[in-house]
Amino acid sequence: MIEYVIRGLINGAVYGILALPMSLLFATAGTVDFAIGAYALIAAAVATSVAGTLGLVAGVLSALLASAVMAGIFALLKRSGEEGIRVALASFGLSVAIASIVLLIWGTQPFVRPTFSRMLEIGGLRINPQGLINVAISVGLVALTYYLLRATSLGRMMRAAAANPVGAELAAIPVLGVQCGTILAGGLLGGLAGLLILHSAGLDFTASLSLTFIGFAAAIIFGIQTPLRSLFGGLAMGVVEALSAGFTSGMVTSMIPSAFMLVVLMTGLLGSNRFAGDRP
Amino acid sequence: MKCFSRGMLVGAALLPLVMAFAPSRAIAQGGQPVKIGVVLSLSGPAAVFGLPERNAIMAIEKEIAAAGGVKGRKLELVFFDDKTNPTEAARGVTQLINDEKVVAIIGPGTGGTILAAGPIAERLKVPLLGPAGTVAVTAKTNSFAPWVFRVAINDMVGVQTLLQSAVKKGAKRIGIIYQEDAYGKFGAEYAQKLSAEHGFTVAETVSAAYTATDLTSQATRLRNANVDAVFIQMSISSLGAAFLKAANDVGLKVPFFANSGLAQKSFIDAAGSLGEGVHVLSIGNLPYDPTPAEQKLVALLRKNGNEPQGWGEIIGGNGLMTVVAALKAIDGPVTGEKMRDTIEGLCGFETYSMGKPCFSKDNHDGWGADALVVTTIRGGQFRSAP
Repeated sequence: MIEYVIRGLINGAVYGILALPMSLLFATAGTVDFAIGAYALIAAAVATSVAGTLGLVAGVLSALLASAVMAGIFALLKRSGEEGIRVALASFGLSVAIASIVLLIWGTQPFVRPTFSRMLEIGGLRINPQGLINVAISVGLVALTYYLLRATSLGRMMRAAAANPVGAELAAIPVLGVQCGTILAGGLLGGLAGLLILHSAGLDFTASLSLTFIGFAAAIIFGIQTPLRSLFGGLAMGVVEALSAGFTSGMVTSMIPSAFMLVVLMTGLLGSNRFAGDRP
Repeated sequence: MKCFSRGMLVGAALLPLVMAFAPSRAIAQGGQPVKIGVVLSLSGPAAVFGLPERNAIMAIEKEIAAAGGVKGRKLELVFFDDKTNPTEAARGVTQLINDEKVVAIIGPGTGGTILAAGPIAERLKVPLLGPAGTVAVTAKTNSFAPWVFRVAINDMVGVQTLLQSAVKKGAKRIGIIYQEDAYGKFGAEYAQKLSAEHGFTVAETVSAAYTATDLTSQATRLRNANVDAVFIQMSISSLGAAFLKAANDVGLKVPFFANSGLAQKSFIDAAGSLGEGVHVLSIGNLPYDPTPAEQKLVALLRKNGNEPQGWGEIIGGNGLMTVVAALKAIDGPVTGEKMRDTIEGLCGFETYSMGKPCFSKDNHDGWGADALVVTTIRGGQFRSAP
């Protein structure tokens, strides 16, 4: 039981990184970028083609580039007056396009690059050191985001743009710039998540949408308004997934995480503003 | 009279000309090319198998054409891509039979697409030669059963062969991991059914969704159940590799027996060093340890600039060689019905595959366990076990 929980937490840490940009963008622009999983995919794909540390850099850059495309789409759609659902749908399209590009160039080959062949033994539990690295990076990124939002002028601008876009615009805050910047941050974080997955479980061209969905689930489960909660959402999804794989069988296994999400959302308490309290 | 004699004269003058053309015309009539449909999954998820199948069929067809056809008849292949989609497959089969007048069809490419095309084959009276292991394809309960033949190996035979080999290597408590689809579920359930008869117990059964990235929980469960071998029923190489990785992470160190779905180069590539020692079922071993018959197919493929990929080429070749054997046995005009009746009587004909093919009225699965080999991954290659 404890073993499953720990493994779930390790997996969930990566989901948390995927969820983070989702809630950031929702807070600053009121929309959702469904291409996050595709940023992760393209980063992993590019990183496998370039050797060494340079591959990691190239991977993140390609994810950034992909998110820059998304930011461009966002800016265009925003100029035409409407965003929200249209941006979300456009990001879906971008996600499918990126997955097709990956399929075209790299084919159906899986991307995986194991870093450690020796496992850590902690109290009779074998853990891949990469898992601990993932957790550390995830927690570090969330802490960094929190610091950026709370203690820097950039963070103040983002919070202002989120709280009152019109007022922020009047106060000479480049709202569109902040929102596009958030999408780019999504590319960065998504790309990093992709690299972590590349070095742990691996992925292939079909992974983009499922990664997006798990990230989205992690983002909304405890309230999409606050980025900090996305980490806990990710961890919770990871644990539920691990427990259901550990104790149920057959098709039920893949159903339980979705059912869990549904139940949490329907009870609605955890996502309510009463508990969310702090605004980003 | 004058007219008549002039006609005679012209006739006489033309006679040698007519004589000269006569033989070639006779061939053109008697040797109207026999049209064979090839409906395979050349795109979509099953293209991994569809493309090698097509390559083999094209390579062998060239060889047949060079030898002057079959019994003086020329072969003409008409290709159609079913896109791994039942609707497309049904459309393709209809189109090839109605418009192209094919007398037999190799394909469609997967279990699902064959089942979708079966009723059409029955209605239009043209036999299908299905390159898929899915059990239901040749089930006797299908109304179209007389019209569908299998040129791959029945999945039941595959699972049985693999598990027998596991038991032979000392496995008693077998764990099962399967992917959540019809293929995976069938393997898990059939293994359970076989357990009593073959002297092993199924200690634990776990499953994974297509999209699962992390399988450590599943591996942990198998480890905790103290299994002494794991049967892997998967066809997605990334999923198979993810499982090997998870098994290594949690310290599940037992022999692994993977069904033929994972006999793909991409599985070896994805698994890397973790794949070493894994046993994988395969139909023949074309790329690494070909038998003499398989070597001939390898040579044909290379002549066409194709490197052998796996067992796709073998079952594609089985399809065309079944057609060839049937044509050899048919005198006079060839029809779909005649093809069907003849294939049902074929037994022990020439192919590029291992094992002796044999069809009969009660058995539409031409190939059996003798066409299978349990390979072991060594040095990044599937090696036929000594």
